[in-house]
Amino acid sequence: MGGVLSYFRGLLGSREMRILILGLDGAGKTTILYRLQVGEVVTTIPTIGFNVEQVTYKNLKFQVWDLGGQTSIRPYWRCYYSNTDAIIYVVDSADRDRIGISKDELLYMLREEELAGAILVVLANKQDMEGCMTVAEVHHALGLENLKNRTFQIFKTSATKGEGLDQAMDWLSNTLQSRK
Amino acid sequence: MYTLLHGFYKYLTQKEEYCVVILGLDNAGKTTYLEAAKTKFTKNYKGMNPAKITTTVGLNIGTIDVSGVRLNFWDLGGQQELQSLWDKYYQESHGVIYVIDSNDRERMDESKEIFDKMIKNELLSGVPLLILANKQDLPDVMGVRDIKPVFQQSGALIGRRDCLTMPVSALTGEGVNEGIIWLVEAIKRHSIVRPPREND
Repeated sequence: MGGVLSYFRGLLGSREMRILILGLDGAGKTTILYRLQVGEVVTTIPTIGFNVEQVTYKNLKFQVWDLGGQTSIRPYWRCYYSNTDAIIYVVDSADRDRIGISKDELLYMLREEELAGAILVVLANKQDMEGCMTVAEVHHALGLENLKNRTFQIFKTSATKGEGLDQAMDWLSNTLQSRK
Repeated sequence: MYTLLHGFYKYLTQKEEYCVVILGLDNAGKTTYLEAAKTKFTKNYKGMNPAKITTTVGLNIGTIDVSGVRLNFWDLGGQQELQSLWDKYYQESHGVIYVIDSNDRERMDESKEIFDKMIKNELLSGVPLLILANKQDLPDVMGVRDIKPVFQQSGALIGRRDCLTMPVSALTGEGVNEGIIWLVEAIKRHSIVRPPREND
């Protein structure tokens, strides 16, 4: 297990990079955020009514919130979209019932013009659970074949066990580095 | 006034856009090849360190401007379970690059098998094809002379489309230019049948 320092060393000292960690509730986003060992996570509870967890390490800014539900506050998400370099989209691979909602949320969000340049990392999380979806199943269920103008990569992870995150973060860091 | 100028600017700078899908077995070198192509045809692009390129499970995209047109590449994962996703891209592809690991004699038959399956798909009928015998930088690899006959057995499936088999090293960049320049011309010739991508 690496932590933010080992993963993103090559990105430090360049311009500010913004990375969003998104997905439905219960997908494992916060666990992943803590796995990055960035430091203290600040939960902001703004009056508009949705929680954004945020950590900043030097020029890297990670922001986390839940997608799904709450249609009234959606317009406010936009405040967080500008200058996003990457989206880490976390999926509960064991939750076949809600993968359809997860797909809708993802595709809805990616229609945002502000996110057009962001690369996408899909974490097929909870791979430690029995009977969970494979990467090909997650790929299909999320309709990723419709994303033809964006670099993306799927990784199998188990955030609680810390598995798969190394590969995912290495890829993200290398890909961001070649684009900076 | 702005709209007018903007429209005129767009008219002047807009290039015809074509899409090229890069296929082949996993570990054939598709992503390394895409990085080499981007490096060759993009000013100031450093490219990803080839040592850091890992197995693709997803999509890598790349855009280059060459011979007056714009090429959009789709580099897909080659692992078996991902091959079922390839045909989602066929309908919109103007060209196909099929990459072969010339050093992997054991999987040559497997590569040929999925090549056949891909090339006989009707959505790709007539679409220009560039077959790359990659990893020519390694010693004792199969040359085009050995590989071409294997894939020529599928001559009937390849049909009368433009098709070129050539040696390449994605790692050193050798042969990358020539292949792409050939493919662009073939795509342009075929554009009567498959016109450039519509832009909004």
